[in-house]
Amino acid sequence: MAALWVAGVARKSLTVASGAPRREFWSRFRKEKQPMEAETVEEVKKEPVLVCPPLRSQAYIPPEDLQSRLESHVKEVFGSSVPTSWQEISLEDVQMKFSFLARLADDLGHAVPNSRLHQMCRVRDVLDFYTVPVQVRSKFDELIASNLPPNLKITWDY
Amino acid sequence: MTARGTASRFLTSVLHNGLGRYVQQLQRLSFSLSRDAPSSRGAREFVEREVADFARRNPGVVIYVNPRPCCVPRVVAEYLNGAVREESLNCKSVEEIATLMQKLADQSGLDVIRIRKPFHTDSPSIQGQWHPFTNKPTALGGLRPREVQNPAPTERPA
Repeated sequence: MAALWVAGVARKSLTVASGAPRREFWSRFRKEKQPMEAETVEEVKKEPVLVCPPLRSQAYIPPEDLQSRLESHVKEVFGSSVPTSWQEISLEDVQMKFSFLARLADDLGHAVPNSRLHQMCRVRDVLDFYTVPVQVRSKFDELIASNLPPNLKITWDY
Repeated sequence: MTARGTASRFLTSVLHNGLGRYVQQLQRLSFSLSRDAPSSRGAREFVEREVADFARRNPGVVIYVNPRPCCVPRVVAEYLNGAVREESLNCKSVEEIATLMQKLADQSGLDVIRIRKPFHTDSPSIQGQWHPFTNKPTALGGLRPREVQNPAPTERPA
C-alpha cells in the first residue's frame, strides 16, 4: 500500500514537472518523436515575442522653466484671460482641475498621486508640488552617499 | 530579593578614570534593526536622523548599523573593561532611543548593581587610624596592665 502510494505520488510529480520523463518510462518507440515535437513547440513559441517594456523610473527633477510651463498650461486650460496672479486661481471646477493636472502629468512625466489630490486647491499648491524633486534611491543608498563620520559603519544584510 | 540576597559592589571607577584625563568607556555600539517590521520604526528613524550626529559627538565609539531581518531591534554596547550590555529597542520612539544611547555612552562598563557606599577613598587616614595604643607611652620591657610606672617613693629614707 505504501509502495503504491509512493509510486503514485512519484508519477504525479513527474507528470506535473514535464511530459518527457513519463514518455520515457512508458514507451521507448516514442523517443524519435520527442525531438521533433520539442522543435515544433519551440518554433511556435518564438514568434510572439512578449518582452516586458522597461519600467519607467519614478525619479523626477523639476525643470528650470517650470514656472513658464505652468503658466502656459494655465492659459490653455483656463483660457487666455488670465490675471497676473495666476498662482491664486482656484481649482474648484473638477473638469478644469483634471485637464490641468493631466496636461502637466503628460508634459513633465510626473503625476500628482491620488492621495494628494485633495491638497491641490490652487495653482500655487501644484507649483509647490512640482518643485519638489523625487529620488528613487533607497534609504540605505542615501545614507551611504551622505558623508558619514569615520566611526559609523552601515552594512546591508538584505 | 533583599539587598543582602542580590549582588553589590563598592563605588569605584575603571583605572581611576577622571583622576587624570577622562576616557569614554563605551567602545562599540552594534545596532541590529529590521528594514520592514513595525517594531523597529523608531530604530529606523534614529538611524536615518540621529545616529550620524551621535557618532560625531562621540568620536571614540565605533557604531555598527546592521539592518537584517529580525523581529526585535537590539543594540549591543561593549565597554573598555570587557562588559557587554544588550538593550532592546522594541517599539521605542526616537527620543527614547536617543536618551538610551546617551545613557549608554555616559556609563562605564561596571555592573549596574547596588553600590554599598556612595563614597570611596584610597587614603582613608592621613595620620594613621586610631587604635587604643596610640598616644600611650611605651616602656622598656613593656608594662603589664594596671602597673604604675613610677612607684611612690615611700621607702626612701628621709
